[in-house]
Amino acid sequence: MRAGYYAQPSCHGNAVAALSPKEVKTAMRAYEVMVILDPDLEERTVAPSLDTYLNVVRQDGGSVEKVDVWGRRRLAYEIDKNAEGIYAVIELQAEPATVKELDRQLGLNESVLRTKVIRPDAR
Amino acid sequence: MAKPVLRKPKKKVCQFCKEKVSYVDYKDTTLLRKFISDRGKIRARRVTGNCVQHQRDVATAVKNAREVALLPYTSTAR
Repeated sequence: MRAGYYAQPSCHGNAVAALSPKEVKTAMRAYEVMVILDPDLEERTVAPSLDTYLNVVRQDGGSVEKVDVWGRRRLAYEIDKNAEGIYAVIELQAEPATVKELDRQLGLNESVLRTKVIRPDAR
Repeated sequence: MAKPVLRKPKKKVCQFCKEKVSYVDYKDTTLLRKFISDRGKIRARRVTGNCVQHQRDVATAVKNAREVALLPYTSTAR
């Protein structure tokens, strides 16, 4: 609130310099990304292929805490005619933009049925 | 003369408050299944006995779990 107020350049009195986007430091946040993959994939190949996506996080200064592949699981309802899916949960620390990019890239892959990004500590 | 039914409800204690839970995990389907009916609907607070805050947490967790197909949006009654 206050930052936004000060960032407004004023035409009265002494002008306050607006913050350029570079100066605004985005905080690292803890995220949890749940990915549901096509059940026709080999379960062994899931972890390595997910890892290639996670390079985006590492390059942007984030860190991957945990990759948990649950394996094949029955879906509560059909997704794209699939009754099953391979679940994977990734815990990571990253900037918001990085996670957005990761989510976008995962969504482009056709063997990814669904992704969900959750911030567990958001209150 | 029908006798008016006097019902003294026993005050339920929210089970999350009792266990001092701060975060209801959407991945914990066995826990969340206790808070949905067999049609898949979220049970009301007067049924579950949760406090306002925890009922809300449970509701969000159930909704998140539905999005990732861990819980059903609907399921036909058997």
